[in-house]
Amino acid sequence: MSSKANLDVLSRQVAYSGEGISVKSLETDIQKERTIQDNKVEELKVLRERNVTIQTAMADELKKLRKFSDYLNGTATKGGFWAGFKEVLSYIPGLGSMGMSQRSIEELLKAQYQISARRVKEAAEYVDTLKQSEQDLYKEIDRINVRIVEMAKNEREALNYVLELKTLQEQLEADEQAAEAGSVEQRDIQASIDKVRAKLAEHSSNVLLYGSAEERYARLKENTRKLADTIRNLAQDIQQYTTASSIKLDMASAQIQAIGRAADASAVMLEMKRSLDVMTESMNVTTQFVSDTQIFFRSNLDTLVKELDTFDEKTTAVLEDNLRKSKEVEEARIQAAVDKAIKRRDGGPAAATPSAP
Amino acid sequence: MTVVALHTQALVLPEAATYLELLGRSLHAARLSNAFPERRPLQQTLETLAESLRLGLHSELYLDSRAGLPNLASLTRALTDKSVARESLARLGDRAALEARADEAELFARLAAKHAYYEKLQDRELAPVDHQRVLLRRHDPASGTAAFRIELTKLDASGVYVRLQIELTQVASLWRRKVIDLDKDGETAAASEAFRAMVYRCADLDAEALFVRLHGSEGVSVERVQRGVIGPVLFALPTGSGVQVVRTAEATDDALGREWHAWSVGAGAAEHERPELLAAFATDSAALDIREERSNDPISPLLSHRLRDQEQARYRALRDRYPFKVFKDRKFVATPGLRTVAHATCAAAGTKNMIYDLQRG
Repeated sequence: MSSKANLDVLSRQVAYSGEGISVKSLETDIQKERTIQDNKVEELKVLRERNVTIQTAMADELKKLRKFSDYLNGTATKGGFWAGFKEVLSYIPGLGSMGMSQRSIEELLKAQYQISARRVKEAAEYVDTLKQSEQDLYKEIDRINVRIVEMAKNEREALNYVLELKTLQEQLEADEQAAEAGSVEQRDIQASIDKVRAKLAEHSSNVLLYGSAEERYARLKENTRKLADTIRNLAQDIQQYTTASSIKLDMASAQIQAIGRAADASAVMLEMKRSLDVMTESMNVTTQFVSDTQIFFRSNLDTLVKELDTFDEKTTAVLEDNLRKSKEVEEARIQAAVDKAIKRRDGGPAAATPSAP
Repeated sequence: MTVVALHTQALVLPEAATYLELLGRSLHAARLSNAFPERRPLQQTLETLAESLRLGLHSELYLDSRAGLPNLASLTRALTDKSVARESLARLGDRAALEARADEAELFARLAAKHAYYEKLQDRELAPVDHQRVLLRRHDPASGTAAFRIELTKLDASGVYVRLQIELTQVASLWRRKVIDLDKDGETAAASEAFRAMVYRCADLDAEALFVRLHGSEGVSVERVQRGVIGPVLFALPTGSGVQVVRTAEATDDALGREWHAWSVGAGAAEHERPELLAAFATDSAALDIREERSNDPISPLLSHRLRDQEQARYRALRDRYPFKVFKDRKFVATPGLRTVAHATCAAAGTKNMIYDLQRG
C-alpha cells in the first residue's frame, strides 16, 4: 500500500442533502411540479372564462341601468322621449313582452339593480380565489427555490468529491508506476484504483444529475413566477373593475328608486293618455256613425218615401180591386134577388137563387 | 359632508357601528306589532351590515339621508352577500385550513373571517327590498266569494321601510277580470300582474287614498288598508375625536324635522360625547270596523283637516260613497337627549304618543 495516497477519501460519506437522486426520481419530481403548475393553469383558464362571462353580463346590465338613467335625464332622447323610454324598458327582463302599464317600473328597476349587484359581487368573489391561487404559487416558488439550492449544493458536493477522487486516482496511478510489477503492493494499488474509478463513475453521474435538476427547477420556477404574475394582474384588473362598478352601483341606488318612481308616474300618465285616446276614439266612431246615418237618410229619404208611396199605390189598387170585385158580387146578389121578386110578383114560379160568389 | 350621492349619506366605523347598534335596539324597544315590517329580518340585516364593516368587507355604510335608514345599496349588499355565500364557501374551502395559513399571508386571515361571515349569513333571514304575497283568508266556492290579505313589504323611494296590508273580498264572475286568481285547489292565490303593480305603485299613498283607489277595482270590496312605517330615524353621533357630530343629513321639513333642527342648533349642539337617536314608527289604517276617525300622529293629520274649504264638499261626497274610517298613530323610541324632541313634536300637535326609552349601550 502506498504511503503517499490518502485512501480515506474512498470511505468518506458525501453529504448530499435530501433524498438520493436518480434520473427516474428527478423526472418524477419535475413531473409533480409540472402537474401543480398545469392545475393552476387549468384553474386560471376556468376562472378567466367565468370572469369573461360575468364581466360581459355585468357590463351589459350596468349599461342597461346607465341607458335608463340617460333616457330619463333627457340626454338620449333622439327618437322622442317615449320611443327612447320604450326602448330602454325593453331591456328589462319580463317587461319587453308586456304591456307597459302591467308592471311597476320601480319594482323592475330595483330587481335589475339587485341582479347587477349580484354580478359585481360574483366577479369580486373571484378576486379572493385568484389571490389564494397567487399565494399558493408563491409558496410553490419557495419550495422550488429550496430544491434549486439543494441541487446546487449537491452538485458542488459531487464536483468536489470527483476532484478529490481524480487527485487520488492520479496519485495511485503514479504509485502503481513506482511499484514493482506483479508485486502485492502493485496489486493492492490497482484494487484501490478500481474502487476510485467506480466512485468516480457514480459521482460524475451525480454531478450531471444535480446540475440538470438545478437548471430544470430554475426553469420551472420562472414559469411558476410568470403564472403567479398573470394571476396577480388578473386579480388586480378584476378588483379595479368591480370596485369601480360597486361604487357606481352604491352611488346610483337613490337615483334608481327616484327614476323608478318617476317612471311609474309616467306610466300612469301614459295609461291615462291611452284611456283618453280610447275615449276619443269611441267618441269619434260614434259621431261618425251618427253623421253617416244622417247623410244616408238625407240622400235616401226621397227614395224611401217614394218606395213607401209605391207600396201605398199597390195596396190601394189591391184594395180598390177588392172593393170593385166585392161590389160586383154584391150587385149580382142584389140583381138575383130583384129578379126573383119580379117573377113571384108576376105569378111565375120562383127561379132558382143564384149561389153567392 | 357625509352626503355622497343623491339622498345618500355615508357612515364609517366607529360611528356606523354605534348607529347600527342603536337602531337595532330601537326596533326591539318599539314593540312592533305585525302592522310593521317584520322586526327580526331587519335586525339581522343590521347585524350583517355591522359584521361586514367590522371585518373590513365593506368600508362604508350607506343611509338614506332623509329617512336615516339603511338605503337600497345597503339592504341589497346584505342580500347579495347571502346569495353568493354558498358558492363562495365552496370555493374558499375549509375554514380551519385558511386559519392554519393565517401567518403565511394577511389574505388567509381575511379569508378565514370571510368564511365565518358567510357561514353565519347562510342561516339568516334578511330584510327584503320588496316582498309581496297574497294570503287567502276565506273562500266560499258556492258564492264564488274569496277574502284575501295582500301583504307588501317595501323599501320606499322616500327611504322609509313600509309594510302594507290590504284585506279585501272578491266576487268571482265569468265576465269579470279577476284581480286575484285562486289555484285549482282553492288554497293558494296570486294577484294579477296589473293589480300587483297597482298595489306596488300606490304603496306610498296613505291608507285612505289607497282604500278609495283599490275599492274602485272591478269586483273588489276592500275591508281594511293598513300601513306600518319604520322611519324616519334622526341621529347625532359624535365622531372618534369628539369634536364633530354626524347627524341625519336631510331631515324632512315636517313638525318632527323642525323640532330636530331646533334641538340640533340648541341643546343638541353642545352634545359631543353621547350618541343620540330617535326613531319614529307610524301606523295608518282605513277600515270598515274603525269606530272613530282620528289621527294621533303628530306629523300626519287627517286628510279632512288639511283640505281647503272649497275642497271639503267634494271630499265629503267622495267619502260618503265609502263606509270606512281612518285611524293614524305614531310612536317614538328615543335616547334621553332626544326625548325632548319627541315630546315637543307631540305637544305641538296635541297628540298623546308612546315614547319608549332607548338606553345607550
